[in-house]
Amino acid sequence: MTDAMERWSNEDVALVDLIDRVIGGGVVLTGDVVLGVAGVDLVYLGLRLVLAPAHEVEQSVVLGRRSA
Amino acid sequence: MMLLYGVVPADATAPERRGLAGQRLEMIRGMLAALIVEECSERLNATGDEARTFAEIICDLATTTSILPIRFPTMLPTRSAVAAELQANEAAWRRRLTELDGLSEVIIRAQWAEADSELGSASNSSGTTYLMNRAASIHRWDASVAEITEVVRAWAREVKVLRRQKGVRLACLVANADVTQLRDAVTTWQQAGSDRKTAVSGPWPVFSFVDDQEALSA
Repeated sequence: MTDAMERWSNEDVALVDLIDRVIGGGVVLTGDVVLGVAGVDLVYLGLRLVLAPAHEVEQSVVLGRRSA
Repeated sequence: MMLLYGVVPADATAPERRGLAGQRLEMIRGMLAALIVEECSERLNATGDEARTFAEIICDLATTTSILPIRFPTMLPTRSAVAAELQANEAAWRRRLTELDGLSEVIIRAQWAEADSELGSASNSSGTTYLMNRAASIHRWDASVAEITEVVRAWAREVKVLRRQKGVRLACLVANADVTQLRDAVTTWQQAGSDRKTAVSGPWPVFSFVDDQEALSA
């Protein structure tokens, strides 16, 4: 096994998985939503909205190109 | 401002705890479902610590009721806005709550030593070699997803492929009573090959299965 693989610990994996799912999973509302973002005032968005972590948006773009 | 935590059955017992902002959690009830919310006078910074605390609250709530977690951080300006969202979605939410009753999410990571060596060699190789390595890596990844899905087929109601960094990461929807057996199956599979390493986390609330779209049939 490599060093990177050896660094896995159960507690680390659990915490990373949990936080990843909190911000990347869950019910997404598509109405008028107000968001809080680090260091920025809350912004009211009157648009259809899908909130997702940047890394998941990037993956969606890549997958879209592959399937095109 | 109202911070949204999750959707629960309309007849669920109100939670007896405080939320992220230190306020008592409240339930806004509809005919079929209810939303657990917290009134916040201050903005959230959406830090990692807040995400972790939010996650712990969701996990705590899930010990007493079925819950569809709301993606963090979602806030609505008023109670009436929350009620409007509830009214618009409660039929679908209630249907999914019923489908997910007694189920949890388990996340499986699997990684192979070859994955690291392929990446390492690719960085020092020609474009053609790089593309061939990438193609081999993608084929290996597809085969691995199929292999692990087969391993968990007996226990996972749904399987969803999550974002990967190295190796494979799958979210499995599992009956609470079957979590241990699924863990044991993954452990057995890992022990069958010396080049593979796995990690299993959960059971978690059903973050990845709040709707039934994009799920692979297990």
